Amino acid sequence: MTSTAQELHPAPTLEPGRTILELKGLEKRYPGTHALKPTNLAFKASEIHAIVGENGAGKSTLIKLLTGVMPRTSGDVIWEGTPAALATPHEAMALGINAVHQEVVLCRHLTVAANMFLGEEASRFGILQQRAMVREAQKIIDDLGFDLPAHVVLGDLTIGQQQLIAAARATVRGTKFLIFDEPTAYLTRKEADQLFTLIRRLKGEGVTIIYISHRMEEVFELADRVSVLRDGTLVGTRNIAETNDAELVKMMINRSIEQVYHKEHFTPGATLLEARNLSGKGFENVSMTVRAGEIVGLYGLIGAGRSEFVTALYGRHRKSAGQILWEGKAVQVNSEHDAIRLGMALAPESRRDQGLCLNLPVGLNLNLPIYKRISSNLLISSAQEKTEADRQIANLRIKTPTRKALASSLSGGNQQKIVIGKWLAHGAKLFIFDEPTVGVDVGTKAEIYRLFSALLSNGAGIILISSYLPEVYELADTLHVFRRGKLVATHGFHTADHEEILTQALAEKQEKPGGQI
Amino acid sequence: MSTEAISAERPKRNYNALFGLTLLALLVLLWIILSVATPSFASANNISNLLRQGSMIAILAVGQTFVIITGGIDLSVGAVVGFATVIVAMLINAGVPIFLAILITLLVGVAIGMFHGFGIVKMGLPPFIITLATLTSLRGIGLLMTNGNSISINNDAFQLFSRSSFLGIPNLFWMVILVGIPAYIFLHHSRWGRYLFSVGSNAEASRLSGVNVQRTIYMAYTLSGLCAAFVGVLLASRIGIGNPTQAEGWELQAIASSVIGGTSLFGAVGSVHGPLLGAFILATINNGANLLNVNAFWQRIITGVLIIVIVYFDGLRRRGK
Repeated sequence: MTSTAQELHPAPTLEPGRTILELKGLEKRYPGTHALKPTNLAFKASEIHAIVGENGAGKSTLIKLLTGVMPRTSGDVIWEGTPAALATPHEAMALGINAVHQEVVLCRHLTVAANMFLGEEASRFGILQQRAMVREAQKIIDDLGFDLPAHVVLGDLTIGQQQLIAAARATVRGTKFLIFDEPTAYLTRKEADQLFTLIRRLKGEGVTIIYISHRMEEVFELADRVSVLRDGTLVGTRNIAETNDAELVKMMINRSIEQVYHKEHFTPGATLLEARNLSGKGFENVSMTVRAGEIVGLYGLIGAGRSEFVTALYGRHRKSAGQILWEGKAVQVNSEHDAIRLGMALAPESRRDQGLCLNLPVGLNLNLPIYKRISSNLLISSAQEKTEADRQIANLRIKTPTRKALASSLSGGNQQKIVIGKWLAHGAKLFIFDEPTVGVDVGTKAEIYRLFSALLSNGAGIILISSYLPEVYELADTLHVFRRGKLVATHGFHTADHEEILTQALAEKQEKPGGQI
Repeated sequence: MSTEAISAERPKRNYNALFGLTLLALLVLLWIILSVATPSFASANNISNLLRQGSMIAILAVGQTFVIITGGIDLSVGAVVGFATVIVAMLINAGVPIFLAILITLLVGVAIGMFHGFGIVKMGLPPFIITLATLTSLRGIGLLMTNGNSISINNDAFQLFSRSSFLGIPNLFWMVILVGIPAYIFLHHSRWGRYLFSVGSNAEASRLSGVNVQRTIYMAYTLSGLCAAFVGVLLASRIGIGNPTQAEGWELQAIASSVIGGTSLFGAVGSVHGPLLGAFILATINNGANLLNVNAFWQRIITGVLIIVIVYFDGLRRRGK
C-alpha cells in the first residue's frame, strides 16, 4: 500500500457549473411500491444541493441508488459524461461518490485514526504503520479545524464528534460527490457549525455536496439549490435565493407552514408535578412545576442536562438531592416502575436504543406497558391485545400492514408514533417527550403536535424536550432554558425572542449581569 | 400513504407455526426413510427407546430457549443434570420420601438458576461466564460429595418410573408433555413470556416501558435451572445411579436443539415447539445412525452439518428471501 497522503486533497478536476452527475429517468420499484418515479436531475460540480422531503418521499432510495447499495429498476446515471452502472458500493466509491449517514457507521472500538483509514491502512511489509496513521489522521483533523484527538477510541467521543470524524473520513478518500444524510440530527450547534465549515470548504475544493435535512434553516444557510421530493416524485428544483420556507414546505407536504405547529391554549389546571431543587448526574438544583393542560418546554443544547433531568425524574437514574411532589404530595421515585405507577410516561430520546424493540411486532411494542392490565391472572387476553394494538394503529394512523409486522420495517416517523402510542392506552397524566420529532417528516410532526393538544385537552401535562428552538418556542406554554446542567432562564409563551433564548442556551459570551432567574 | 403501507415488509404470518411444520415434516421424513432403510427402526421397542433418548434433551432445550430468548446462554445445564442425579440419589438413599427428594432436588435447580440471575443482574457478569463457572464448579462439588464414585439408588419404585409406559407411551415422553404445555402457555400467552422477548430485543426500551428487566432475567435462568434439575431426576431414575459426571456435553445438545428449532442466539426469537422438535430430530439422527451402523464419530459430524444447514435456511427465510 502506498501512503495515503496523496489522496488527502484531490485536485479538483472540474470547473464549477459543469454537470458532474446526471439522472436520466432514474427509477426504482420495489414489489408493490414505486419508491422513486422516473427522475431527471443534474447536479453541478461544486454545488451544495439540498434534497428535502418527508420520510418515505424517496430520499433514502435515491441515496442507495447513487451509492451502489441497491440496483436501479431503470434509467441512467451519467457520471462526468459517461453512463455509470453503480452496481456496488465499491464502484461508487471508486468513482468518487461517498456518503455520510445519519447514524454513524464506523467501528466504535477502534481508534479515530484506525477508522479514518479503515480499508486502506498504511502498511510496510504487511505491518501496520500505526503511528504514522495517527499522525496523518491528526493532521487531517487539525487541518479541518476540529478540536479532536486522533489516537482515542471512537466510542469515547460524543455522537456529534463521531459524525464529524465520519465526515472527515469521507473527505480523505478522493471524494468528488459527497452525500450527507441528515448529518446534524445529533449535533450540537457548535459541532454543526464545524461541519458546515467543512462542507463549505469541500465545495471550495470542487466537491459536489448533496445535503439531506429536515431542518429548513440549515438548507437556507448552506445550500445553493434545493430539490423537493414527494411520494417518489421530484416536485421541483429551486435556486435557494429564489425560494422560501413556505414554498418548500408547501411543495413537500401540500400544506401551509402555519398548519404544522398546531397549538391550542388550555387553561392550566392543578399542579401535577413539582420538582424542588433536584440534582443528579448531569444537572443540579433544578426546580419546576408542570400543570395539567400545559406544555413545559425544555430547551438547550444536547448535553445541557435536559435528558438527564427527565430520566432522573422518571426514576431511571439516581437523584442526589431534591424532592418530587406529585399532585401536591411528596413522593419517592426510585425506579421507572414508581414513575409509571404515579402516572408518568416517557417517550425517550433514542428510538433505536431506548424506545423500541425493533425485531418484535408493532403490536407487542404498543402493548408492552399495558400487558399487566390486559392479562387476567397469568394469561393475556388475546382479544384485548388485538383491540388495543389495532386501536392505536388506527388512531395514530401508523402505517403498517398489520400489528404483526416488525417495528424495524416501519419508517422513522411511524416508529416514533409507536414510541408515543404505547403510552396512550396506559392512561398516564404526565407525558415526557424527549426530542419527539428528530428524524421525523413534517407531516408526522404535525400529527404529533395535534396529539399533544388531544392529550392536553384530556387533562394531561406535557414536558417537551427539544434542541430545535422553533418547536419548543411555538408549542411550550412555559419554556425553561438549560445550560451546562442548570436551569438558566424561564419564559412564558412567546415572551422572549429566539435570539434571547439562543443566547441564554449558548452563553458563549460573558453572561450578562441580571439575567433572568 | 397507501404506497408506504404496501412497501412495508409483509408480516410473517404464523411464521413460527410454519417453521414448526417444516421441522415436523423433516422429522417425519427422517422416520419414513429410516423405517424403509432398517427393519428395526419402526419397532415399538426402538420407538420407545428413541422417545426416551430425546425426551431429556427436549426438556433441557425448553429451559435453554427461555434463556436464549432474553439474549443470554446457559452453559451450566449439563452440569446441573449431573449434580441433580447426585442430590436425588443421596436423598433417596438417606431415606427421604421420593416425593420430597424430588422436590428438594428441583429447589436446588431453582437456587442454581437464581445464582445465575444474581451474577448477571447484580454482579454484571456476562451470562456465558457465570454459567461457564457453574458448569465447571458444579462438577467439582459433585465429585467432592461423592468422592468421585457413583451412588447406586436403592429404590426400585424410583427406577421403575422411567422404564414404564402409560397408554403405550414412555413415561419420560409424558414428562415432555408435562413440561411443554405449561411452557408453551407461559411463553406465548402470558405477559412474562412477552417480557422475555422484549428484554431480549431491547432491555433499555423494556425497562423504560415499565418491564422489570431484572426479575425477567432471574426468571429465565431459574426456569432453565429448574428444567435441568428435573432432567437430573429423570436421568437418575433411568440409569439408577447418581453421578456428577453424567450428562457431559448435554448443554451443547440443548443449545443445538434450541437453535435447530428456530431460536436466535441474538435473542428475541424463539418458541417452545421448535426446540422440542429440534431435540427429537437430533435423537432420531443418533438413533438412526446407530441402527445403520454408522460410525459414532460420523454422527457428531452429521449433527454439526445439520445445525449449519438448518440454521442457514432458517436465516434465509427470516430475511424473506
